Amino acid sequence: MRNNYDVIVIGAGNGGLAAAATCAKAGLKTLLLEKHNLPGGSASSFVRGRFEFEPSLHELCGVGTPDNPGDIAKTFDELGAKVDWYSHDETYRLIVPAEEDDPEGFEGENGVRVKIDAAMPAGFEAFSRKLDSIVPGSYESSMKVFHLSTLMYEAFDDLNSGKINPVKFLTKYGDVFKMAGHTVRECLDELGMPKKAQNIFTAYWCYMGAPPMRFDFLYYMAMMHGYVERGASMPHLRSNEMSCAIDKVIREAGGEIRYNSEVTRVLMQNGKPCGVVVNGKTKLFAKQFICNVHPNFAMPDFFRPAQIPADARRKINGRSVAASLFTVYLGMNRTKEQLGIHNYSVFISTADDSDDQFRLVQGKMLGNYVIINCLNEVIPDCSPEGTSMLFLTGITYGDVMQGVRPEDYKKLKTKIADEMITQCEKALGIDIKPYIEEIEIALPPTFSRYLNTPNGSPYGYQLDLWDSMLSRTIQYNKDQPFDNFLFCGASQERGDGYGCAYYTGKKAAGLVIKKLKEGK
Amino acid sequence: MAGLLNNLKIRDYITILANRQKQFGLADDSAPAGTDASRALARALHPNRQYLKVAAVTERAEDVKSFTLVPDPERGTKELAYFGAGKYLTVFAEIDGQPVTRAYSISSSPKASLEGRYELTVKLVDGGLVSRYILDNWQEGTPVEVSAPEGNFEYQPLRDAKTVIGLAGGSGITPFLSMAQAIRDGDEDFELILLYGSRNKKSILFAKELAQLEKDCEKFKVIHVLSDSRAKASEGFEKGFITADLIKKYAPADKPYSVFLCGPQQMYAFADKELEKLGLERKYIRHEMFGEFHNPAAAPDYPAGVPETVKITVTQAGETRTVEGASNDSVLQILEKNGIAAPARCRSGECGWCRSLMVSGKVYIPPHLEYRRLADRQFGYIHPCCSFPLTDLVLDVPEAK
Ligand SMILES: Cc1cc2nc3c(=O)[nH]c(=O)nc-3n(C[C@H](O)[C@H](O)[C@H](O)COP(=O)(O)OP(=O)(O)OC[C@H]3O[C@@H](n4cnc5c(N)ncnc54)[C@H](O)[C@@H]3O)c2cc1C
Ligand code: FES
Repeated sequence: MRNNYDVIVIGAGNGGLAAAATCAKAGLKTLLLEKHNLPGGSASSFVRGRFEFEPSLHELCGVGTPDNPGDIAKTFDELGAKVDWYSHDETYRLIVPAEEDDPEGFEGENGVRVKIDAAMPAGFEAFSRKLDSIVPGSYESSMKVFHLSTLMYEAFDDLNSGKINPVKFLTKYGDVFKMAGHTVRECLDELGMPKKAQNIFTAYWCYMGAPPMRFDFLYYMAMMHGYVERGASMPHLRSNEMSCAIDKVIREAGGEIRYNSEVTRVLMQNGKPCGVVVNGKTKLFAKQFICNVHPNFAMPDFFRPAQIPADARRKINGRSVAASLFTVYLGMNRTKEQLGIHNYSVFISTADDSDDQFRLVQGKMLGNYVIINCLNEVIPDCSPEGTSMLFLTGITYGDVMQGVRPEDYKKLKTKIADEMITQCEKALGIDIKPYIEEIEIALPPTFSRYLNTPNGSPYGYQLDLWDSMLSRTIQYNKDQPFDNFLFCGASQERGDGYGCAYYTGKKAAGLVIKKLKEGK
Repeated sequence: MAGLLNNLKIRDYITILANRQKQFGLADDSAPAGTDASRALARALHPNRQYLKVAAVTERAEDVKSFTLVPDPERGTKELAYFGAGKYLTVFAEIDGQPVTRAYSISSSPKASLEGRYELTVKLVDGGLVSRYILDNWQEGTPVEVSAPEGNFEYQPLRDAKTVIGLAGGSGITPFLSMAQAIRDGDEDFELILLYGSRNKKSILFAKELAQLEKDCEKFKVIHVLSDSRAKASEGFEKGFITADLIKKYAPADKPYSVFLCGPQQMYAFADKELEKLGLERKYIRHEMFGEFHNPAAAPDYPAGVPETVKITVTQAGETRTVEGASNDSVLQILEKNGIAAPARCRSGECGWCRSLMVSGKVYIPPHLEYRRLADRQFGYIHPCCSFPLTDLVLDVPEAK
């Protein structure tokens, strides 16, 4: 039995899958170890009755079209992983219900009083025109934003080509530097975007969990540009299809995958990792390690305190964990038309300002903010005829489960789900509760169980102006605890998201391949 | 070219980067906690294994016993995982070198688990391996290894009607017993009207306990349905089988109700036909799982010309072996009979714990047990507990954790 590898990848989340596939395809003796009995981490699925639910994916902005493929489509093509993509040309609808006496309130769809009801199309021009129709005078600033994000992508291309000299780069791309050093709020103000238009424009904050007042404009636009330019995509058979497709690539390239295999310890030699212990018993060795487990748990679980470099301990203690989610999965015994749902993705909030939305959910278990998705809008046959599936997401921050006893947990789940569903029913002016055939509710402990992350957060560390994507990228080497033990996944440079996790996995794999080829 | 962000300064990236390092420098360098409330809760509710011992054995009827299980701190279990009424435990055992698993619904209340007690009730199955073993061997002090509470046969107020008609047959009474106690204890809030099928008065399990629960709790009512032709109908007793008319007689006429079923496979076959007559919406009918499927060759869609024995080449944790088995056994059974422990919980096709890669070969999967994920079907994953080999197979099976 083989017990020695070139590289051991710990955890088969999106980051680990991409890392293992890249290493195996480069001919490295690769072993992928996963605690759970299937791949993907968040990128999975589960069956209840006649429904198969998507557990995590809201939308992918990195797929695009065959003529204009995005990052994710390119990664899957490079790896040779085949996925049947479905796309969608709407970005989101934002609804902010109004109190009875709010002077800004007006009657929206189904007689619901709202302050904002904005269904935004994909495409820069269409998006900006729609924004202008809701907030007159915002067209120009909106188009400027997309001009800047287009410039930003040109800058990335130039940087990657390595052909441009620093001085020329600085003069040509001064604005891009400014985007990196300033918040979303500062830049939109500078571009003269009206406040109300900003509220609509920044609605995507929830997908990265960072509010406009603390998030750098560069990275916000990297995401927003992708969604608005290309629209959103989903895999046909839930994200388990994506994970299975990469699993297949790894095996076909000669890599080995072991499920139900939890790493319980990292073995050290001369102050560096040299092996792992699986399920508390089996020892396996490798030259290089790529770790898809969140550092806040990987470091204390795998190493003795004295083995953890002081710098790594500070990085764990000095950063805050990003957003945690509450999710409700509903199998409905009515079609979306019967329910009165005609948008894929609706953001519903009690506050119109995105920064307030962020403030309101801090440390809270309930309310104020919910996203509702209807997968049938993108994939009509995702559930049996006469039915549909809904997916509700709430967001929070912090160790909110403190004081919850095991015996309270089931009731708490029901209470939270009830509030989230009620909030959707009110904002959309429709009935949901009478038609629920299947329901599953996930709170942070559920995600903690399946992802093994602090606070059950799928988002890694809080993205912030001081701890931005760009800073993390530049200081990547400093962030790794040992030179042969690299992290990948949402805790790394790009924060959460499928595309980001694949990227970090590929990047770590690239470094490992290079080192092993150089014989280090 | 004039920029668009003219009033903003290029912030000195060197300073921003230095600040990031400064921020880390200020942080505490003590050993990280490595836990939080979500992790603690997840671990308390879903331990990988629970190490218990038998504290008491109660004879319920001929060949039916209840076992009170308590934590065995010496083997590492200090507290029992709390559960929602209706869940089951998977029992792990080794019988003559054969690693086996079986699911048993918890018949005690959720509240009792907080006091350190689970009760399982095991009825002998004719020719059964594990039920025989448990009934013959478990006694006070026997160490027992079980899973966390599993399964989805639970009341859910956002989905189910306020009134539930429970249809129980034989040992299928167990989850309902737990539900009735949970209602009494205030841990669940719904009205449970239980139609409980038994052969005769003598074969009713938990007759006394059910009667007491009825007295203690006005939201619970039990009607015994006796199939023995010599039985007599009287207050609380009906004769015959659980038919549509009988359900109508006890169900509320003016409001929706849910029907929960738990019992032997023959009961489901009969009751499902009766339920069709009532025209209930599908959301109001919920079955506990079917249990192991046997004798696939009798199924109408089972192909012809299947060899009696097959070879299975299994890779598990990097080790490969080839074993032989009968095509009439499930893939999981063949592995176990060859001394290979494979992951399993429900053994009914539903839970997905046994998910394994079929590298090559063909299997028969009973259509009503097809609970695999769509992509798993496409990429060759099977649930060995309800897959029957039609040819030689090559499998990659995860470790039994
Ligand atoms: C969710 C759930 C909850 C449950 N709760 C309870 C409970 O509370 N109490 C309880 O008593 N039981 C319960 N059960 C049933 C229990 O898990 C066992 O199925 C039961 O005890 C029988 O196990 P056994 O090992 O004795 O029988 P098995 O060994 O499984 O054998 C069963 C029968 O099948 C036959 N057989 C075996 N293999 C084949 C084959 N290849 N072809 C044809 N026939 C074959 C055997 O000869 C025997 O007649 C539950 C099951 C599930 C799924
Ligand atoms: S053990 Fe549950 S599906 Fe096989």
